[in-house]
Amino acid sequence: MIRNKSMRRASLVSSIVVTGAMLLSTLPAQAATPGVTATEIKLGISSPLTGSAGLSYGKVPGAMKAYFNYINANGGVYGRKITLISRDDKYLPVRAATETTNLILKDNVFALVGALGTATHAKAYKAAALAANNVPDLFINTGFSGFTDQVKYPTTFMVLPTYAMEAKVIAKAIKDNFPGQPSVLIAQDDEFGTDGVAGFTAAGHKFSVPNVLYPQGYFSTPGRDAAVITSLRGLLAAAPGSKPVIVLFGTTDVTAALLKAATAAGVEKSFTWYAGSVGADANTLLALGVKSTTIDGVVSASFMPDAKDLTDPYVKQFVDINTKYNKGITFDNYVLAAMNSAMLTVQALRAAGKDLTREGVMTAIETKGAKFASAGLVPLGYSATSRIGYNGYWVSQLNAKGEGKPFGGKLVIYTTDSGAGAVEVSTFVRPTMPKNGIPTNS
Amino acid sequence: MLKLTPSKKRLLLFIIFGWILLVLSNQVGDLKLYQGSFVATYALAITSIILLTGYSGQLSLGQSALMAVGAYAGALTIFNAGFHPVIGLLVAALVAGVFGLLLGLIVARLSGPYLAGTTLALAVSLPTLANQFPILGAEEGVAFDVGSAPARFGEDFSQYKWYFWIASLAALIMVWFIANLLTSRYGRTYKALRDNPVAAELSGINVGQVKVGAFAISSGVAGLSGALLAILISGVSPSAFPLSLSFSLLTGAVVTGVYSLKGVILGGLVLVAIPEIADSLVSRIGGSEGFTTSLPGFLVSALLILAVVFAPNGPGSLIKRKHHKK
Repeated sequence: MIRNKSMRRASLVSSIVVTGAMLLSTLPAQAATPGVTATEIKLGISSPLTGSAGLSYGKVPGAMKAYFNYINANGGVYGRKITLISRDDKYLPVRAATETTNLILKDNVFALVGALGTATHAKAYKAAALAANNVPDLFINTGFSGFTDQVKYPTTFMVLPTYAMEAKVIAKAIKDNFPGQPSVLIAQDDEFGTDGVAGFTAAGHKFSVPNVLYPQGYFSTPGRDAAVITSLRGLLAAAPGSKPVIVLFGTTDVTAALLKAATAAGVEKSFTWYAGSVGADANTLLALGVKSTTIDGVVSASFMPDAKDLTDPYVKQFVDINTKYNKGITFDNYVLAAMNSAMLTVQALRAAGKDLTREGVMTAIETKGAKFASAGLVPLGYSATSRIGYNGYWVSQLNAKGEGKPFGGKLVIYTTDSGAGAVEVSTFVRPTMPKNGIPTNS
Repeated sequence: MLKLTPSKKRLLLFIIFGWILLVLSNQVGDLKLYQGSFVATYALAITSIILLTGYSGQLSLGQSALMAVGAYAGALTIFNAGFHPVIGLLVAALVAGVFGLLLGLIVARLSGPYLAGTTLALAVSLPTLANQFPILGAEEGVAFDVGSAPARFGEDFSQYKWYFWIASLAALIMVWFIANLLTSRYGRTYKALRDNPVAAELSGINVGQVKVGAFAISSGVAGLSGALLAILISGVSPSAFPLSLSFSLLTGAVVTGVYSLKGVILGGLVLVAIPEIADSLVSRIGGSEGFTTSLPGFLVSALLILAVVFAPNGPGSLIKRKHHKK
């Protein structure tokens, strides 16, 4: 106990003052629908702006803001301007939980868009009580198929094809294009990686050696990437004359680390590198120091046109918007994907009608989402029972310039599901882009 | 009329305060409840520092590690072993306490900078242990789920109010227990030990035993606060208990008076307020990414330096000096 009267008094007074100040700074009572006023719609995103994943994904919020600003300059959504509040979670689940909670509690956003990361978002969804608060969780930036579970994630809408789908398409691509070659899977050891493993199993693909599963952050310790390459060389020795297919199912920094280690060991051309879509952005790989000669020939998969393909009307439109509203940022696949999600978001908000509610926007995506215009070359799978976005991939190959061209010269689109369904060739033709990239749907 | 002894007065005070918190919790919004839960958690953690450093004179920089131990123990109890959350909280305090006991036995001979250095090493290394053992879930961590409020409280009972109730109740009970401890014979023994170990030894106090005991109890309290923190962020992982947390807690304790328990709530408020202040500063004057990330840490350090230079015995001493000048 404080024996001294004045000390006690001072502590008591200061406690009251600080508590009072904090209580008084409470925001005024909220409107019926949080985040929506007559003139504004507030959206929120928690994603890595700094840290290891920030290098590649740091551009996402800025790119979405650029597209939203373009729409705002052209009338907004029924006269309401879209404000995107972005918080940095450094790709850490704990920070994602806190920042997402802040977005809901402090920033009072109407909905979340583009939440990034499997482990990060799974934790954030729970911590921020998104289900209890009925907060729409739109077009999340992760392909973990678990997010389609409407019991666990009732307000979530995916956009990326699931990792299981990607794995199945990769399995088919390996079977068709590299028959008989040994293959190895190097994957991140969390739901992202295991989703991929499940996909390969569902496709019946057998790898030649046990999968290499590494925890996130594993390769930041020097020497570990070289160790993996050494073990891969063992594979070469065991099967002389072969060109094993190495499937990299991780983030771009890991792809870069392994490619650089292989180049340092002089064995980069002894393998066929298959980089999963999460870790295959050519610009980032080059920025991280991977040689263009190493990148040349890397196989990957995509569901969007290549960001360097200016003959594609969507790409051209987004490049224009990027130049005007996102100055200083180089247009790449991340910017393309982000603006595409932003375009889907605007269509969802429009489809919900002028009387915008959280329930309304979710119903709108369920009933009309499959027909939304987007740059994706594969169909969207939204329905009353499905929260799946894109459901397929086309196989691409990078050249020395970092451009992704269809593997084998011809664009073949594969669609599938996350389970045991077959991988089929699709004849999907995507909807025409709305004029000037400004949706007018309702 | 019942004789109101100091201990009965204290109990009454805590009960009344708890009742005030209960009433308040129905008045304020979710955000304040969420922040309030953090205040309770940090106040509890600061209590452990007051006991260890303020009363028994052992400077430890490893409270964040002990919080982590408690948090993981509690999480594993609930998640892996499937026990009730209350058991999880008890286990958190117990396991952390036992860990503190063992730690105390190891460091009992150390004091001053040597003790600080050893605990610093612990704070840095312990969280990374989670990356070595798969059961600890690496960076993803282990979920810490206390479920939603019981149905009888009604559907409108928000999750954040539930967290606030749990955190406040646990903190109140523990702080009351420690307050009683510190005003008892044990508290006087700690102070004797802190001020003059040699004289204490000469008057028959087993210095080693008392030091270890204080370490153990303080660790138990820290473990419980770690478990509460894990509840608020829905899980425990290494990045939830960084070294900077130890420093923040120590700052909170020093700024509000490390020699007494009266300032712990204020300390908790300060720790919750600093990121808010940093946030509004950044939105007002803008800044680069690096600035935004390091500002809270900078504020904590600045606060600590100012407190040590101007008011090492807490803010009350400033007023006292003014009184005397009159």
